[in-house]
Order: sequence, then structure tokens, then C-alpha cells
Amino acid sequence: MSEYLPLVVLFILSTLVAAIAVALGHLFGPRRPTERKLQPYESGMTPFGPGTRRMPVRFYLVAVLFILFDIEVVFFIPWAVVYRKLGLFGFVEMLLFAGILEIAFVYAWKKGALEWE
Amino acid sequence: MDWASLAEWTLKSFALIFALLGGFAYLTLFERKLIARFQVRIGPNRAGPFGLLQPVADGIKLIFKEELIPAQADKIIFILAPIITVVPALVIMAVVPFGPPIQLFGRTISLQIIDLNVGVLYIMAIASVSVYGIVLAGWSSNNKYATLGGIRSSAQMISYELALGLAFTGPVLLTSSLSLAEIVEAQRHIWFVLYQPVGAFIFWISTLAEVNRAPFDMPEAEQELTAGYHTEYSGMKFALFFMAEYIKMIAVSAIAVTLFFGGYRGPFVDQVPLLGPIYFLLKVVGFLFLMVWVRATLPRIRYDRLMAFGWKVLFSLALGNAMLTALGVLLADMFQNSLWLWSIPVTTIAFFLLVAYLMRGSIAGGNR
Amino acid sequence: MSEQMILTQTDLAERFPGKVRRDERKGYEGYIVEADALLQVAQTLRDEMGYDYLSSITGVDYLPDGYMESVYHFYRTTGGPALVLKVQTPRDHAVVPSLVSLYPGAEFQEREAWDLLGIRYEGHPDLRRILMWEGFAGHPLRKDWREPYYEEDAKPFKSRWPDGHVYRIEDKNPFHKNVDYPPDFDPDQWVADNDAALYASLAKIQSTLDSSLKTDTVIVNMGPQHPSTHGVFRMVVLLEGETVRALKPVMGYLHRNHEKIGERNTYIMNMPFTDRLDYLSSMSNNFGYALAVEKLMGIKPPERAEYLRVIMAEFTRISNHLFAIGSLLNDLGAYFTPMLYAIEERELILDIFEAVAGSRMMCNYFRFGGVARDLPEGVYEKMRDLAFERLPRRIDELDLYLTNNEIIRARCEGVGVLTPEQAIAFSASGPLLRASGVPYDIRRADPYSIYDRFEFDVAVRYHGDVYDRYLVRLDEIRQSIRILQQALRDLPQGPILAGKPQYQVRVPPGEAYGRVEAPKGELGFYVVSNGKPNPWRYHVRAPSFVNITALETMAKGNKVADVVAILGSIDIVLGELDR
Repeated sequence: MSEYLPLVVLFILSTLVAAIAVALGHLFGPRRPTERKLQPYESGMTPFGPGTRRMPVRFYLVAVLFILFDIEVVFFIPWAVVYRKLGLFGFVEMLLFAGILEIAFVYAWKKGALEWE
Repeated sequence: MDWASLAEWTLKSFALIFALLGGFAYLTLFERKLIARFQVRIGPNRAGPFGLLQPVADGIKLIFKEELIPAQADKIIFILAPIITVVPALVIMAVVPFGPPIQLFGRTISLQIIDLNVGVLYIMAIASVSVYGIVLAGWSSNNKYATLGGIRSSAQMISYELALGLAFTGPVLLTSSLSLAEIVEAQRHIWFVLYQPVGAFIFWISTLAEVNRAPFDMPEAEQELTAGYHTEYSGMKFALFFMAEYIKMIAVSAIAVTLFFGGYRGPFVDQVPLLGPIYFLLKVVGFLFLMVWVRATLPRIRYDRLMAFGWKVLFSLALGNAMLTALGVLLADMFQNSLWLWSIPVTTIAFFLLVAYLMRGSIAGGNR
Repeated sequence: MSEQMILTQTDLAERFPGKVRRDERKGYEGYIVEADALLQVAQTLRDEMGYDYLSSITGVDYLPDGYMESVYHFYRTTGGPALVLKVQTPRDHAVVPSLVSLYPGAEFQEREAWDLLGIRYEGHPDLRRILMWEGFAGHPLRKDWREPYYEEDAKPFKSRWPDGHVYRIEDKNPFHKNVDYPPDFDPDQWVADNDAALYASLAKIQSTLDSSLKTDTVIVNMGPQHPSTHGVFRMVVLLEGETVRALKPVMGYLHRNHEKIGERNTYIMNMPFTDRLDYLSSMSNNFGYALAVEKLMGIKPPERAEYLRVIMAEFTRISNHLFAIGSLLNDLGAYFTPMLYAIEERELILDIFEAVAGSRMMCNYFRFGGVARDLPEGVYEKMRDLAFERLPRRIDELDLYLTNNEIIRARCEGVGVLTPEQAIAFSASGPLLRASGVPYDIRRADPYSIYDRFEFDVAVRYHGDVYDRYLVRLDEIRQSIRILQQALRDLPQGPILAGKPQYQVRVPPGEAYGRVEAPKGELGFYVVSNGKPNPWRYHVRAPSFVNITALETMAKGNKVADVVAILGSIDIVLGELDR
């Protein structure tokens, strides 16, 4: 794992830089809050009801499909690395694998899973 | 682990971070100047000669701004969100080589934080993480615009990431490696964009969406959601979001250059290694120019349309591109003749035209 | 045509004996209808006589005579002059039946008349105040209503110049500076009363999603402080995800009671005041007001003045449409580039306005019976260059870059559709009406000034969506250039003002409705004179105000992003909307 150490160093340093930036704002920025200032911004009107709530997300079906196909994409990457060693076998294999998933994709498409309304 | 290596990593990390911060500062000026020129204006020219001190002035101003946290906001997440957004932007460049290794103080120093053998996967992973910061920022603000912006950004992410991931396979297939250093090395004679014109195009469009740039800047659509997910952010916290967006612009441009445009490769790099970073910088600036140009030109697309576009057009294209690339590589290996690699641009462009023909009007028209 | 008109006019009084009688006051026209017969008469007008377009509703307070009057102007969309109906009602109990069920376009205008004059429209679905806030005391346009700093009924106020020193009534402000509040008033706690009613009316609308996941609808305010509502306009939107289920426009944040001030002013003082209505096209505002007062005075401007008026009005139309297209693109998310290219041409037009009128935006160029100044040297050549060379080229360029852009088409086509029937019913006018396929342009349908001399086409498109509204504006710019080219070619020499310039005009008693095809739609001025130096009634039928009536219908079912585009495609200006 030691080869990843430079990454750890970079992670720590960038988090530090970001934290320092936030701290700078806290240190030097004035703080004079009033009730009106702390209201969430809604074009200058007092908001009606809470800001965060259950929003209907029209694309949740797409989101589920996304997980499925994202895994497919992840399979593509290691396959691509060893592809030249596998030769024709690798090509046919991936054609089958992707083909099955693509049938599902076309099915979802035709079913209208990618549409919103 | 020895102290010398640790010192080297720390120095290189600092160099990278400060290069990115400086790049961010001057990218804002670059963009403002350029857009002003596109729009028959002059642009910032008051702070210092040619407005060169404008980013400094902006930075100082932001430090001294009052920061507000909305009363009902989730305070911890609200403060963490900008950090979560900016850190991935800073670390994503770790695997990108800026130039060939150089000799310094008797050590061989590679101009790259780390040459991971899974560099491409690393990029994909980190790129996906940064969306969390945006979603959390939108959710924690207790603001309706911000919530909508956060939801939009997750919708956007699931629209383009498939195509983006598949666009990576082209260079990987050609190199048989996930290391970015090796991918650059493989482009010693020919840039992959010539083998992968469609792949590079898909990659570029997806990265526009990845970094929330026009015409895909829905999460922060000013005209609709005032400022989207960062509506409630002010002062340095706002600056961090801003920074993340611009650093990501630099990062994806650098990655595009590395994958498709030969990275730091150019004439005489082998003789004079220091030319490498210069070539690299020039190519990155070229990509940044393109991004600014697009922003000055195009209106925003609607986000359900982006989803349709991402899934129906980009995903199909990227999948076809990956398979056709595989076919071309297979043919070249079978016949032991690398000329067969030239079948890839031919077939992929033909496929591109076919998809464009089949999909014509399905995204834009057809609704009246 | 005229015979038919006479026929129908005699018809109306005979058809409803005892209910309808001719308005026989001197200087007045139309019919006086009994309140209980109004709906029936209006139905006959609409269904049998073809008066399908209700242009204007307003009221007049005849305080000395002790009654209020609700005034209606009906038109045919096939063209021709107005048919005017009036309903008289006692001042202390002013009730008139509402016409919203027959003409949905009456909705906001009736609310306005209720708000400002206190005429209660029975049967109106949502009779709330519209320009003032709920809880405001009194109805300001009533002649016996007096503001806190009331001085005199008519300008010029004698009190302003005691001993030759200017003196402002505001100095007597009981709170001295505007930031002090009365002791029992805490601005942090204050919530406008009408918001509660507003939110309640929106919250009633139930979710249409039959999803097993429980989700909420959200009421979001877009505006008044919002980047894309073109000013301090406010839309309260009920959202389900990002889909708009209901929308209520809220206006009046810029209200200054233009009409009350106008009734205090002398006739000529109102000329520069009209500039402030639609401040992007002040020349057209001048035009409408000048027409109305000239109608009352019975004068006609000389030839050269007529040509100059048309030239200025058409230049105004071009500059306004350029601005509208530019800001529509901005609303779509284009980062100011199209806007700035459009404004570049507008600046050249404003140069001409500055040369002739002395001011770029607040032109104050028209006078009763002519225009204020003749063309200075060199301006004619500049105008020729613009109309014949530069503008046609630049409009083609705009067309080339924008019209077929894939994203613009994706965002605009099929969005915010208004059918022709809806457009007429909502009293929409201008590009909004013509993009819905109704070829109604006042310059053709009811020609005023010298528009009957020019050759031009009425720009019409048929889909009624945002894209067609954009195209109609582009077409109209081209037609305006055609008119300009003819007008500049034929511009005669001669005087520019009938009679000699005067500061106090003599306006005989009577009423007049002067309307022009302003760039944003039908701009009408309803002026009532009682022979004094100030108008007794001065009403502005603002196109932005009436066009916004159709907003909710267009916006429902679209996305948040589309609502912004739809609002941009109506092309409103708050100076005129809020007055």
C-alpha cells in the first residue's frame, strides 16, 4: 500500500488548504446576523414552509438503471486492459455481455423508462 | 519510506495545489477577459495592468465578506459541503503527468504526484465523488432553490457518467494500461484523438456536464434558480465552490489532453524535458478556451433534455465507439498490421453519423 | 363596413329596449347598459356580432354627478373600430357583474378597477387587490380619496413656490425620514395579508402523481428579487419536482399610481410621464397618448409630423424587439452574448432618438398636433443608413445565428403554447397574439396616423409557442424596416406642428380612447376631459399588464426553466405592468 502514500499526503494537504480557506472567512469576515438575514433566500420573500422536503424525483427509474449500467462500464475498464491478450475471445465475450445488457437498455427505452412524464 | 521521498511528495503536492489555485485565479480573469471580447466589451482592466490584479482583489474581498448560515440549515454539513466539493477537484490531478521525469539534486523526479497503475479508475472515482458536495450543499441550505439545484446535479451526474466512463475505454484499449504515464508514452508518435475522434468528442461533452459548465450548468442556473445549490453560500465558502468548478475545468482539460492529445508530448521533449510542461500548459489552455467559447455562445439546455441526450445519444455512441475500437484493435492484432487501427476512426465516424441521423430531432424537435 | 356598423349599433339599443341606451353626453360615444343586462349584452356582442376581443376595462369616478362608470371597449379581431359599453353604478355601492366568464382577459383588468376604484365585480373568481396590497385603506383613484401628503387636486401646485423657494411636502413627513416606523409596527414581524390568501389558494391544488412514494409539492416564490423576472415581478409557483402545477403572478412592487398622478398633471405634463410606462419604447407611449388627446381636441398633425411619428415609432419597435430577443436568450441561459449584440444595434437607434429628442430613453418627443423638434442636420442620413444598410444586415445575422440553433429550438418549440382561441379570450395583444395565429395588428385592423399608406405584412405565426413569439418579433423587425424605408423615402418637407407650440392646451369635454400597436401589444389611453386643464380620467391600457393574464395558462405543466422562457417571451416591462 505504501505506493499510495503520496496520495495520502496530497489528500491531507488539500483538505488543509480548503479548511484554512473556510477558517480565513470565519476569522476575517464580520458577523452581524439578524433574523431577516438568516432567512433562506427566496427572491426576497419570507419562505412558505420548509426548504428541504421530499421532492418528487422524476428520474428515479433512470437512477436505478444508472447503477446497473455503471457497473457494466466498470467491467469495460479491466476488460480493456487485458483485451489484447484475450484477442478474439475477449471481443466475442464482451459482445455477448454488452449485448445482453443492451437488450435490457432497449427494452427500458421502449418502455419509456427514460421519459419523464 | 524515507524522509527524502516524503519531502518530495509534500513539495510536489504543494506545487500542484498552488499551481491549481493560481490557475483558478487566473482562469477567472482569462474567462472574463475572453467573454468580454466575445461580447464586444473590454472586460476587467482597473485592478493592475490589464486587470491582472483582479483575481487578487476578488480573493481579498471574499475573505472579508460576511458569511451567513441560514437559521434552519444543517450547520455541519453546510460547512463541510464546500470542502467536500473542493478536495476532489484538487486531488484528481494527482495521476496526470505534467512532463517527462527530470533529474534534480541527483534524484529522478517524475512530474506527477503518483503514477497509479489504476490511474483511469482513480479519475473516474474521484470525479464521481465531487457531486456529493453539491448535493449536500443544496440539501443542507434549507433553501428551495438550493434543493432543486442539488437534485439537478444528481440528475445530471447520472446522465453523462456512463458515456464518460465508456469514453475512457478507447485509450485504455489502445494502450492496454490504466496508467496515465503509459497512455502518454503510447502517444509518442500519434495522438489518440486521431484514432478516437468520436471518443474524444464524447469525452469532451461529458466533461462539460461534469464540471457544470454551459450549456449544462443547470445546478446553478441563474435565470431559474438564482444561484442553485450555492444560493445560501457567501464569502470564502462560496469561493470554494467557485474554486472547485474552475479547478475541475483545468483538471478535465488536463485529463482530456493526457488521454487524447498526447499529454506533455511534443517536438524535442526528449531532448529538453522542461518543454513538456510548457506543451502541456498550452494544450490545456486550448481546451479552456474552448470551454469559455462554448459558454459565451450557447444557451442552457433543459435538464430532462440533458438526461434524454445523455442516455439516448451519448451512451449509445460511447458504447458503439468502445466496441468498434475493440474491433479495430482486434483486427490490427490478428493481421499484425497497425494500419488496421485506422479502421477505428472510419467506422466510429460512420457510426456517429448514423446515430446522428437516427436521432435527429428526437432531442430538439418533435414536441410541437 | 360603415353601413354594417350603423346597422349593428342601432340594433343594440333596439334589441334590449329599456336595458341599453345610447350615450348621449356631449363628446361621448357608445351605449349605457343597465348592470343586470351586461352579461346578456356582452354575450350577444361576442357570439352574434363578432366582438370577440375585449380590449380594455376601466372605471371612471364621476364624483360631481354622483355615480361611477365601468367602461368597456370591445373590438372585432377581424378589424374595425370599437364598440363602447358603459355601466353606471352608484358610488357608495358600486357593483357590476364580472365579464370573466365570457372574456377571461377581463380578470386582471377588473381586479385593477376594483383595487383602484372600488368597483366590485360580482362573479369574479379571484377579486383581490392587484396593484395595492391587501389591507390598503380606500381606493386611490376615487376622486375623494386623498393621499397623506395631499396638497391640491391639480398641478401646478401653488404651494411649491412660496416666496420663490422650492419647498417639498415630503419635508413635513411625520416620520421625517422613511426609515422610522410607527411605534406599533415591527417590519420583521410584518407579513403582507394577501400572501396568506395567496398561498392558501395554491396549496389547495393536490398532487397529480399517483406514486406510492409520499412526496410534497412546494410553493416557491420566483421574484420579486429574481434575476429573470425582468424587474420586481413575482410569480408564486406550486412545484411538483420541477413541474409547475399552478402559478399566480403578483405585481405592484413598482406601483406609483401613474393614473392618479396623471390626473393631477396638466395634459402636456403627462407627455413625458408616459415615457416612464414602457421605458424601453417611450416613443410609442407618446404616440398613443398624443392620439387620444388629439381625438378629443379634434386636431390633426401636419404631414411631416405624421411621417416623423411613424419613423420614430417603427425605430422604437425595432429597438424594443431587439431587446426582447436578447433578453429572451438571456432567460434561456445564453450568457449575455446575444443580448449585447442586440443592444449594439439598439444603441444606434437610441443615438437617433437622442439627436431628435435630446434624450435616449425618456424621449418626450410628441406634442399634441405634431412633434417637438424637427430633424437636426445629418440625422436623416443616419436614419437612411440604418434602415437601408445596417439594420437589415444585422437582423439577418441575428437570424442566422439564433433561429436554427438546436438548443434554442429544443427549449422553445412547443413550450408555453397559447391557442388562437385562448389568445383572443385572454385579450392578448401584440406578438403574443400574432404568434398564436391571429393576424391582428392595429396598424392594419384599425389604422391610425398614416399607416394605411405603407406597404407591410402583418407578421403571423401559427404554433403559439415561445419559438414562434421569437420568430414573430424577428419578422416584425423586418416589416418595420420596410415601413421605415418607405417613410424615409417619402418624408415630405413642411411644418412639424399644427398651430403654435403651447404649454396649456384647451381640451373640450368628452372621452377618447387612443390606441396604438406598441411593440409589446395594444397600448391604449382612455382619457376623459371635463374642459379643465387636467384630464378628469387618464387610464392606461398597458399591453404588459393585460398580456400577463395568460401567463398561468401557458406555464401550467411546464418546467421551472420553461416558465422563465415563457415570461421572457411575453416581453413585459415593469414600468408599464405596475404603473
